[in-house]
Amino acid sequence: MHLIQRMKIWKELRRLEQRAREQPAPTTFVDLGQVFINLDEHAKAERVAEDGLALFPKSPELRQLLECARRGLRQKRMAELRAKVTRSPAPELYRELAQVQVELGDSAGLHTTCQEWGMRFPDDAGCWLVLGQARLVNFYRDLASREGQEAVRCLERAVQMAPEDVSARRLLGEVLYRIGAVRESQKHLTQLLQFSPADAEVDALLRHVAALADHGDDVEALLDEVESQGSLRHASFAAVPRAAGDAGMARVRDGLAHVADLPGVTKATFIRGSKALVKGAIRDGKDPFLRVARVVAKAAHRFARRLDIGTANKSVVEGPFGDICVCVYGEALAAAQCDETADLATVMAELQEIVAGALHVVEEA
Amino acid sequence: MGKIQDVVGELRQVAGVKGVAVVTLDGLVIATALEEGTSPDVIGGLASYLLMTTNKSLAEGGLGGCTRLSLHATHGKAVFVDLTDSCLVVMVDQFVDPANVRREIDDAAQRIRRASRLS
Repeated sequence: MHLIQRMKIWKELRRLEQRAREQPAPTTFVDLGQVFINLDEHAKAERVAEDGLALFPKSPELRQLLECARRGLRQKRMAELRAKVTRSPAPELYRELAQVQVELGDSAGLHTTCQEWGMRFPDDAGCWLVLGQARLVNFYRDLASREGQEAVRCLERAVQMAPEDVSARRLLGEVLYRIGAVRESQKHLTQLLQFSPADAEVDALLRHVAALADHGDDVEALLDEVESQGSLRHASFAAVPRAAGDAGMARVRDGLAHVADLPGVTKATFIRGSKALVKGAIRDGKDPFLRVARVVAKAAHRFARRLDIGTANKSVVEGPFGDICVCVYGEALAAAQCDETADLATVMAELQEIVAGALHVVEEA
Repeated sequence: MGKIQDVVGELRQVAGVKGVAVVTLDGLVIATALEEGTSPDVIGGLASYLLMTTNKSLAEGGLGGCTRLSLHATHGKAVFVDLTDSCLVVMVDQFVDPANVRREIDDAAQRIRRASRLS
């Protein structure tokens, strides 16, 4: 690219960046991201897409841009790793390369990598685990018996080669109980618990599996049955509703009601993902307070991250509408709109309690 | 312009204040007194983004403009004060309560408004 071309592109970039700041719209961010992708600057394109999504979280174009930028980054990483394993092969490099290929959905490349990995390091069970994981993803998506059989075969091989490897055993235990081979699954999960007796999650999983009906240990027949019926025998452990989560959400709801009752507080909300609990004078989901809380949280997060001052946890916006207090930890956000009579320190402390409690709920779940 | 730079420099001397900048809403830097290693352009761009997006969402909801925004992060704090077409950005140490420097910030904002009217 000669100098004049580069100058033209940089001029266009500056114009688009200014437009994104002054008149933010999904198309502006997409145009800007596209220029970065054309310049092979995928990291910058990813940043642009993230910034755009902070403002327009439902924009499908911006999601596509993010996906495209990440794909480009992964492809770059894959090429780097491929060059590295050719120069100096090592199991860790193969593992990372295979992981990137899984993320890219490059099945042919993954098989080549795993084949090479297995030939160079025949004592390393990693290639069988990665292959098993990839097959398992396909099986859960299509419920095709053949994919399931391959997944079980690869995972069994990984367990055989590395009996103490918890990942392979856990995946095997899970797929077995989900197709109905409950007793077989219990064997693996019991061993898993012996390796890590303090693991409460495995303990809970084992108790969950113990309550399920067994349908024999002929894995091939069970997989064929799953394929013909088009559904798995048992639901995943994660999909089973638990009382702890409900109790936790009840605590969040109570906390929110308490905030809404504080003097001077007119509106209060708790947001996680696309769901919001609201209290106070909120008309509907289109109430501007909800959008402001979300936008401020995202923009503040970006500001703090770029300036390297950590994570933005609390923000207060003042204006003719009063004060909007926003408290964020991880994915949980709590916010309140107050008038001049409110004690902002108390409101902020209560919001902090709500998000901290919500994080605890996530951990329990 | 010199007066604004003087006010910014004075505010920077207040205990707990780690950096001060006056930026226009489209990200141009008017005056700064920042720590070494902090780029004025970065501050300008980020402050502009934060205020523009906040003001846009407030305006769309018919709530009016933002007059002040305080941000607490794990390793630092920032206060943004509206100066009509520009904004005063004050970076504060993480261990300092911004309420303790509020008077100084308000005073500086007032002086900058006056200086920009005169110029």
